[in-house]
Amino acid sequence: MGREEICRKGEGGTIMKFSLSSLTLNQKLAIVVGVLGFLAVFAGSPYRGFTSKIDSQELASIVEKEIDHISPEELAGWIIAGNVDYRLVDLRKEKDFAEYHIPTAENILLPTLGDGQLERGEKIILYSEGGIHSAQAWFLLKANGYKGVYILRGGLEEWKDKVLFPRLADNASPQEVAAFEKSKLVSQFFGGTPQIGGTAVAATPTMALPKLEAPSGTQPKISGPKKKKEGC
Amino acid sequence: MDMNAPFFKFGLFGDDVSLIVAFIIGIGFGFFLERAGFGSARKLCAQFYFTDLAVFKVMFTAIITAMVGLFWLSWAGLVDLSLVFVSPTYLIPQTVGGLILGAGFVIGGYCPGTSCVAAATGKLDGFVYLGGIIVGIFVFGEVFPLLSGFYESTAMGQVTIPQYFGIPYGLVVFLVVLMAIGGFAGGSWVEKKFAAKAKEAQS
Amino acid sequence: MAASEKAVVLDEVRAQSKARAAREAQPYWNPYVAGLGLGLVLLAAFVVMGRGLGASGAFSSLVAATVQTVVPAHAASNSFYAEYLGDGTKSPLKDWLVFEVLGAIAGGFISGILAGRVKKGVEKGPRISVGGRFGFAFVGGIIMGFGAKLARGCTSGQALTGGALLGLGSWAFMLAVFGGAYALAYFIRRQWT
Repeated sequence: MGREEICRKGEGGTIMKFSLSSLTLNQKLAIVVGVLGFLAVFAGSPYRGFTSKIDSQELASIVEKEIDHISPEELAGWIIAGNVDYRLVDLRKEKDFAEYHIPTAENILLPTLGDGQLERGEKIILYSEGGIHSAQAWFLLKANGYKGVYILRGGLEEWKDKVLFPRLADNASPQEVAAFEKSKLVSQFFGGTPQIGGTAVAATPTMALPKLEAPSGTQPKISGPKKKKEGC
Repeated sequence: MDMNAPFFKFGLFGDDVSLIVAFIIGIGFGFFLERAGFGSARKLCAQFYFTDLAVFKVMFTAIITAMVGLFWLSWAGLVDLSLVFVSPTYLIPQTVGGLILGAGFVIGGYCPGTSCVAAATGKLDGFVYLGGIIVGIFVFGEVFPLLSGFYESTAMGQVTIPQYFGIPYGLVVFLVVLMAIGGFAGGSWVEKKFAAKAKEAQS
Repeated sequence: MAASEKAVVLDEVRAQSKARAAREAQPYWNPYVAGLGLGLVLLAAFVVMGRGLGASGAFSSLVAATVQTVVPAHAASNSFYAEYLGDGTKSPLKDWLVFEVLGAIAGGFISGILAGRVKKGVEKGPRISVGGRFGFAFVGGIIMGFGAKLARGCTSGQALTGGALLGLGSWAFMLAVFGGAYALAYFIRRQWT
């Protein structure tokens, strides 16, 4: 390169005084972050909440196939086995919860479901008196990105019917009699009373609900998953 | 848009994998601290004698980078900001603790994170400092029953500056960025002044 | 290439490899670039884990675990240690911060090695002895450890992380740290200047 060329380049440079290349790296960084910061003023809230894609067909098929249902007997088996890989949520009022609840259950009311007590990756089993509130809660949680949400089929009603107060009908078949032996043991584990004979179904409301001492305490389990230290 | 970040909070991986993530993130953390020269107590403490304001520059560049980045990622619906853990505010204990920590910083020469980097690069005073930290935490643990009332005082929960002052989040972001850039510009000027002073004193 | 040119090139190569082998300490990075890197690491922590960085918590876990090993009954009865010991189902050292700090040590080492800055030494000013420096470092560490627990964090957790998340207490903490350090700097100037 001859001297002439260098001079010519120099002239062009003085005209383009504020060309981007003349800025130092620091100045470029400052401009970028300054612009991003400035635009933030007009952006609105960064708290977007959860916008979910509700695939109605997918949900409908889940409902029909009852994939997300758990039978009381199944749940009873988990409790007896001492599983700790699930969160059992009782959606009823505190008063009802205090009177009786399924062992290992936690009392969380519908409005506070999204408050952060439950994690999106956990296995959550919902129950209420029957099935209405648990179904509503199921939908709320699914729509908020919770993956492992299940409903106790029949709620507390069916729990009482099948687990606490299992009934052996008068005209039971031999298989039913044999199966009832297991139900008897399960029922006794939970402090219930097996019903033998008779056909009346309306007896359940008058049954005394078991006191809540029998299976091992709920305390250690609740303090476990919640205490996730995130401080510094 | 389907949010699935913070990934851990959406159950994309479990506790055990999170420990590996912790290690990897830690590597990045220690790496950039050392790159900035924060393994050196002299460089760190020069901040408090105005001769080298790298502590301010690095800390606030990191803060505004993460803050602005998180703001825009959340705004774009890619991250659920409400799931990012904000340390609860206990105003008075945090302020008093900060004053004590600042004193410990300039006396000891490091902070817990930088002392690890110092020890990793062979600084013996870094090791001594780490020993001090452990003793200090032990002392705190032992007198904790006496302090617990104070420790738990002025609890305000997880509250951010935008929430507390009722200012829009984006506006606070902008103000912090402005303050940082202003600080950087002013800092360079201060550094030059004090470096000249030091030269004068020596000559 | 002529023989003389070859010799020049060879000399150059030899000199370069010698310098590389000697690993002379390289200058530190531009603080803004280092800060940018640090900020991106913090951002990654937010996006992947939904939490930020930290350091003092790891040492708390270490202290709690040690106390538990030596005097288990005492550790269990003290609510401060109990918080770090959890419900006993897993070791307190299996903690996110502990692994993060281990990573930080590794990262600092890697960066130091690459930059030729890993060397046994003592960081101190010209007017103080090594023993004096050690004394200050130890006392400073004790004070720092105490303050960090009172404030529920240190500069990495409360100032950096909490600062980026605009936490109210975190910003108060940050200002207090700078305030406390500047207030004391004049009286400690013998150590650094």
